[in-house]
Amino acid sequence: MIVAEIKPFEEIKDLLKNYKNILVVGCGTCMAVCMSGGKRQVELLASALRLSKKAEGQEVSVAEKTIGRQCEPKFVDQIKDGASKYEVILSMGCGAGVQEIAERLKNIPVLPAMNTSFIGASDGEGNFLEMCAACGDCILPLTGGICPVARCPKGLLNGPCGGTKNGKCEVSQDIPCAWVLIYERMKELGRLDDLKKEIGAKKWSKNQRPGKYSVKEEEKEPASIK
Amino acid sequence: MKSISAMPPCQAACPIHTDVRGYVSAISKGEIENAIKIIRQVNPFPAVCGRICTRACESACRRAQVDEPIAIASLKRFAADQTKDLKIIPKPGTYYDERIAVIGGGPCGLTAAHDLTLLGYKVTVFEANKGLGGMLTRGIPEYRLPKSVVKEDIDFILSIGVEAVTGMSLGRDFTIEGLLKEYQAVFLALGSERSVFPKCKGIELPGIITAVEFLKQIGQGGRPHLGESVVIVGGGHTAIDAARTCLRLGSSDVTVVYRRTLKEMPASKTEVEEAEHEGVKIIYLTSPVQFLGGGKVEKVRCVKMKPAGKDLSRRSKLMPVENSEFEIKADAVILAIGYNPKTDRIKDVELISGKSGTIVVKDETGITNIKGVFAGGDVVSGPVSVIHAIASGKKAADSIHRYLRNLPSKEVEDPMVLSPLDEKIANLVLKAVRQKMPALSVEERIKSFNEVNLGYSREQAITEAQRCLNCGSGAVISDECVACFNCVMVCPYGVPVAGEEKAKIDISQCQACGICAAECPASAIDVRIETKEESRKKLEGAIKAAKEKSPGGFKIEFFCQYEESLMPVGDKTGKHVIGKPCMARVDVSQLIRPFEEGSIAVEIDKCGFHNECRFKGCEKWIEKHIESARKILEKSGIGADKLRMVCKE
Repeated sequence: MIVAEIKPFEEIKDLLKNYKNILVVGCGTCMAVCMSGGKRQVELLASALRLSKKAEGQEVSVAEKTIGRQCEPKFVDQIKDGASKYEVILSMGCGAGVQEIAERLKNIPVLPAMNTSFIGASDGEGNFLEMCAACGDCILPLTGGICPVARCPKGLLNGPCGGTKNGKCEVSQDIPCAWVLIYERMKELGRLDDLKKEIGAKKWSKNQRPGKYSVKEEEKEPASIK
Repeated sequence: MKSISAMPPCQAACPIHTDVRGYVSAISKGEIENAIKIIRQVNPFPAVCGRICTRACESACRRAQVDEPIAIASLKRFAADQTKDLKIIPKPGTYYDERIAVIGGGPCGLTAAHDLTLLGYKVTVFEANKGLGGMLTRGIPEYRLPKSVVKEDIDFILSIGVEAVTGMSLGRDFTIEGLLKEYQAVFLALGSERSVFPKCKGIELPGIITAVEFLKQIGQGGRPHLGESVVIVGGGHTAIDAARTCLRLGSSDVTVVYRRTLKEMPASKTEVEEAEHEGVKIIYLTSPVQFLGGGKVEKVRCVKMKPAGKDLSRRSKLMPVENSEFEIKADAVILAIGYNPKTDRIKDVELISGKSGTIVVKDETGITNIKGVFAGGDVVSGPVSVIHAIASGKKAADSIHRYLRNLPSKEVEDPMVLSPLDEKIANLVLKAVRQKMPALSVEERIKSFNEVNLGYSREQAITEAQRCLNCGSGAVISDECVACFNCVMVCPYGVPVAGEEKAKIDISQCQACGICAAECPASAIDVRIETKEESRKKLEGAIKAAKEKSPGGFKIEFFCQYEESLMPVGDKTGKHVIGKPCMARVDVSQLIRPFEEGSIAVEIDKCGFHNECRFKGCEKWIEKHIESARKILEKSGIGADKLRMVCKE
């Protein structure tokens, strides 16, 4: 899932300073799960915006709507007709959501309320960890299912650097050294010998921006085949 | 509250499916009028049932898994007693021309008359005796069920438009055929008052009387002294009632002889305990074989009994134990071994009758072999409890209505019932003792016929009602669930689980604290005890009222309604307050919403939860919500200090 965090309130306020008629749009998938931009957060942000304008003695109208997934055009179309009533849309989706809405609505400015952080997973206690860097050339089979590209600050491919100490990264004591984790996992798997093999240079060309992916022709729905 | 598919066990166990949870919850919030309205939707005898019901609901109550069941009947009594001067007279929605005759003014007949009147029919009740009430007034002594209490319930039934003619006896003053000329339906609720006599030698001796005859005499004000030693034969409510009555009449040596054991005794355990407490002796597994005496009864010869086979079920056969005969001194003997209906007075029509004079009916609809004639209550079933008589009257009323309106018969399905609490969850629920019913001391009791149980005080009733687990009014997950499983993490009872696609909450286990609903990022959880919509309306209503009352600036205060209901009535005047089932239900958006409408401050009444709350760990969540709301208020320029926790103690 995509993990994002809400921008500082002052920044959002500043983004919206020239608008009096705002629609806050939430995203009911990743953003709801990481508790950043689901229905409840939309409600709270909208309320905070109204309150701050009120405190400044200004009038503002802030409407709220949460759609299933902002990166899906069919969901975005659900707000398309009603959107013309607003001067601006504040998206609580990830960067993809903001752009998808902007793409579909064209003539209304769409602003981000979030800073999209990473692709990650929940630790079950309300914390989310980055797990994948979307590099386009997955090496997880070689590293026991732990990604050094995403989880090592240096993205080292063949073992730790000299900065690892007591299993922690020199960058921060909060970051476990990805290569220590890989070592422990491979040991559990009885595959320590495999670590002696060199991981060759990655195909970074696969990481070329902008990434693009198309469903293969034979897997597309018949109606979409031209 | 949203409708539910599974009933709480109390409601399912009640023969008339009273919304027990509904009225107990109303009492817990101090809404006594609302409680009696809920009770009266199905039961025209709340004051009576609040005292003498056999309480199948309490036997089914899931609170018993935690400590003791809720004192449901006592709460019903409280609601009835507190509202006896309240005149809420329901009216039928439609009126029909058909007239219906009900024969028998006991609980079954009067219930049928009540229901049929509210359905829109003209109903006349014919009662052979001088007064209405049947066994309620003639069979149950004053100390257990005062006549004034029965009168309250009956007066209510008459107030809705039921017509009653007393002193009119079927077979003597009118016939069924005659009634059928004037009435489009006849309901026979004749009761079952003819005593059964044991087949013993000496039964004809003076000094041997039936319990019905005896209790009737007492009911009419008679105070006979039967002698020092009285033996009562039987094990039902009537036997125990007769025994306790003898004590009150001055007999010092009162013995109940019952042929089975305490376990099989039809009288309730509480009654038996109270009787023994007052001084009644009970001899189990014993039967009379002969009554002895010269000129009048002096002794009862008894024999010990034992089960004939290994089967110890209630109706298993018994046999005498050899050489076990013994004698008990008896100045008088009261027989209370059973009652049969008196249907031999029906001579004009040929009703199919069963063993012991009961009327045979098709099924619960009460349809007899004669068109337009229905029967119900004890005359069909033999003597049963008052709530079963009421249930039978209700079913008959429905069936008469269907007959007269030509409607299809009702499909009766057994209700789905919430499953028992998991042991793990039962252990997590805070224990709270059942409120003890205030009662007269034994010395005071046996001197008079005054009612033994005195009824709960308001504080006791509310405290007792607050023990209710509100079974089945917990959290429901909608399709909007995004499977973040936050609910799984926050539930203090560990009820939500990760399902294949979404989170799942077992409604039979949920304790309805509402913490998950307040924490759900997708707002996909609703709690039946107070839905989001109900909650929103409550808040908007309070804000609107506050704006009107104090246009210059108002404050909103949230309080725990469990705490508030114990405060004196009228204490809420002048405050703009919102009661919540649990303060943890007040989520962040509710805390900041009043400021949008111009509230100058929002207060959370801490007094409601500074003691250990009924909900596990709610305090932590309340504090968390306040902290989050304060942050929002701070950054939006309103000021964190405008939201505060107060304690008025």
